[in-house]
Amino acid sequence: MTNNAHSELVDSLIGMYENSSEAFFFFNKDNKLLHLNPIAKEIVDTDAIDAMLEGQERSICQTCKGYTNTTELISCENCYFSDPKQDFSSFQVYLDTKDIGVLPYVASFHTIDSEKGTKVLILRNLTKLLETRELLFKNTTIKQIIKAQEDERKRISRELHDSVAQEILSSLVDLRLMKYLKSPEEVSQKVQHMEASLTRLLDEIRNMSVELRPSSLDDLGIEAALRSHFKWIEKNYGLVVHYKSEIKGKRFLNEIETVVYRICQESILNALKYADVDEVNVELYEKDDNLILKIVDDGIGFDTSQRVFKGTGLGLFGMKERAELVGGKLSIMSSMGKGTEVLLYIPLKER
Amino acid sequence: MKNDIDFQKVITAFKDKYEVDLVALAFIQPAQLEYVLTWQYAIGNINNRLKRIVLQSGKGIAGQVFKSGKPMHVPNVVTEYPERDLFNYPIIVSEKIKSFCALPLYRKNKVQGVLLLGYREEDKMTYELFEKVIYNIHIDFPKYYGKEMAKN
Repeated sequence: MTNNAHSELVDSLIGMYENSSEAFFFFNKDNKLLHLNPIAKEIVDTDAIDAMLEGQERSICQTCKGYTNTTELISCENCYFSDPKQDFSSFQVYLDTKDIGVLPYVASFHTIDSEKGTKVLILRNLTKLLETRELLFKNTTIKQIIKAQEDERKRISRELHDSVAQEILSSLVDLRLMKYLKSPEEVSQKVQHMEASLTRLLDEIRNMSVELRPSSLDDLGIEAALRSHFKWIEKNYGLVVHYKSEIKGKRFLNEIETVVYRICQESILNALKYADVDEVNVELYEKDDNLILKIVDDGIGFDTSQRVFKGTGLGLFGMKERAELVGGKLSIMSSMGKGTEVLLYIPLKER
Repeated sequence: MKNDIDFQKVITAFKDKYEVDLVALAFIQPAQLEYVLTWQYAIGNINNRLKRIVLQSGKGIAGQVFKSGKPMHVPNVVTEYPERDLFNYPIIVSEKIKSFCALPLYRKNKVQGVLLLGYREEDKMTYELFEKVIYNIHIDFPKYYGKEMAKN
């Protein structure tokens, strides 16, 4: 490299160092801070900078709150700074910034001079990126929710058309026919036929109404509503639900009961669709001011860390959202071949 | 009315004759004015889930056959039913049926029951076989027939 080109490069590097939106920290082999650029000074608290410049032990911990590894969002395990054995060319780090609080940054930490042991830590603000990503996630979820809503409407519409409208039409035809019937026996037979058809219709309407939202949930409470739902499941799908309830018919806030009912309904449906079982255990009880719902099956299970959806992918998401609506917590434990356990905690205090 | 036939024997004969994996037989039971349709007889079934199911008219395989009075032929479940709709056909799921046909059983010009013949392998219930089953139903199934008879 010619001298001229070299000095141009140095100028560019200095320019980048001074004006970049990325923060640069240079450390020597003893982890003493050598230099930092203006943006770095803006991010990090002055006391922390002074401590780092003095090379105090663990001084970086005054600003660094941990980094994201495969097990935790914010972790200090295998610290990138004091024990950089792994590849830390790109990772996410959480810094306690001046005035704004803890923020996520994308960071890289590597040695630039192996003889002297000089290292550089480069930080880039991640807030904007995360906001975009969150918005994207929200938008795609909304799209899926709208689609699910349309599908549900389609299903109800089809059911109305196929069963209700059809049965009424058939009764109407029978009714018109009556005028032309001559003998009382024929009339009586027709009436009997219509009665059967209308009874069936009534049954179907009742079924649809309960499927949409059981009135027993409002009138009789969660315990009874679940019991009749399980009976319905057994009748329609042949899945036996062993139900143990220890709440003794106690009533809770309407929103809590709805959440419990829907989450239970969804879990059972999941077991039915995917678990390959014909028995499910459900427990509902109160413990330490928590309402607890436990749904356990010993089916084929699934890998909770893998995001492979067999259905729409909205079911589990919806269950979590519902739980959060009433300040509850939902945990799903499962692994391949070991069955699935869904646990819902809803705090009952402070209401 | 139907006590004079040993249905378990009849469906066992079906299983042997057509070499199917599952034979199930649903009958309506008079319950006041309503129809109650249940799978009462089965052979080759993996579990008893199907016997717990109370079928609704118009729903599921038996429900559709019962309501329409027409036979149903699905040579390949995997290609014809999307997986997410499959749970509406519990017997197909719990018995892992991949290919089947279902026929109405008439008596006195009314559908009295539904007969299901299923394979656990795709494409085994061919159209030829389906035709053959329909054609022979009145022989294989004494006192019942597979189609509505025209009056007079």
